[in-house]
Amino acid sequence: MSKKVLTVDDDPDIIAFVKTVLEENGYDPLIARNGEVGLDLARKEKPDLVILDVLMPKQSGIRMYRELRADQSLKDTPVIILSGIAKRTFLRSQEALTEFGDQPVPEPDLYIEKPVEPDELAETIKTFIG
Amino acid sequence: MKERKLLFVTQFEELWFDALQSLMDLRKSGFNHVVFLHVIERDKVAMHRGKGYLKGEETKLREIANIRFIDWAESLFEQGMEVGAYIVVGNPLPKIISTAGDEGVDLIVTGHHKRGKVEELYAGSETVDILRRTSTPVLVYKYMLPSGKINERPFERPILAMDWSPASERAVNYLINFKEIVKEVVVVNVVSDKEIKGASAMDIQATRKNNRQRLDEVCDIFRNEGIEADSHLYIGDTCGEIEKAAQEREATMIVAGATGKSGLKEIFMGSVAKKLANNSAFPTLLVPANIKSEIN
Repeated sequence: MSKKVLTVDDDPDIIAFVKTVLEENGYDPLIARNGEVGLDLARKEKPDLVILDVLMPKQSGIRMYRELRADQSLKDTPVIILSGIAKRTFLRSQEALTEFGDQPVPEPDLYIEKPVEPDELAETIKTFIG
Repeated sequence: MKERKLLFVTQFEELWFDALQSLMDLRKSGFNHVVFLHVIERDKVAMHRGKGYLKGEETKLREIANIRFIDWAESLFEQGMEVGAYIVVGNPLPKIISTAGDEGVDLIVTGHHKRGKVEELYAGSETVDILRRTSTPVLVYKYMLPSGKINERPFERPILAMDWSPASERAVNYLINFKEIVKEVVVVNVVSDKEIKGASAMDIQATRKNNRQRLDEVCDIFRNEGIEADSHLYIGDTCGEIEKAAQEREATMIVAGATGKSGLKEIFMGSVAKKLANNSAFPTLLVPANIKSEIN
């Protein structure tokens, strides 16, 4: 059975790109266009890997990442952040939320700033889930 | 405190990041989630003779907006805020309405333009159109004060124009949502020339007394919430007097209810809301009759 990879991004071009990479490499792509839908889908489908954008409608990747890490059934699912937002910003925002009283969260498994080459993405996914 | 959402509508012509930064005092009232909206107007990318749909132009405009939003979002994320963004092609008015509805925002912030196609959205009549079709208050934001300074705390000293309509009564309740950042509300009522035309001196005095009493009652509502309040009665042209009052009292914003007049009546008569949105030098917060956020 193919391994499931959930991509959460609001950019249709990125979704099409990642979906193609996943399909060509034998993975089963799951798609969500914002963090709110992405979280629901993650809880329902229990993907093997999550590829997550940061700046999205409804719920950002920053909040969704925290929710994933707080969920007992998803906290160990590897997460690759794929975003135009700088890694430094992502980490600082997590620190700020922790200062406001939220639980601290570990760094994501990998942070890739857009754009990414198809081969690089495929190789990266392979290192996480084979 | 409940997390509130602000929809920041920008065409990158009037409202820039410094305008948004000047609204950050709103965080004290729970506005910790900002949603950016940029609408690429359809006629900028629509079918052109011999060229078809300008996909390349759309991509370029999208990426320009995206780069700007990423930069803005990084600043807000680092402060622990939640940020979302929409870059869409279409007509601004329906896109604003649908985005406000999808996101469930508590306040819509728009700029004010007076030229070209953008005027179709940002001129006062379109602001009133938004208010007719949504229950969300609209802040027509002008972040430079008439003095030329940046309005760093627009909610600090609002002037509230009361006309005793349900919309203005609700504006009172809506304003209380901002009690953490409002220092003093100046409550004004304008008795129009029309109201006293042909009236006796006794009638005019009775009108003055009655309106003063009602203004004092509104002030008491604010004082009970811990907000200082002062009231003033003006007489003359409604919009002109509200503007004069805002200048005299060194207001940081004008707040008014937006009554839902019919389209035809609106076209022929205009409205206070429309005129304020169009002409005032101050930020103008317009509250529709049925607002989403009452007092918690």
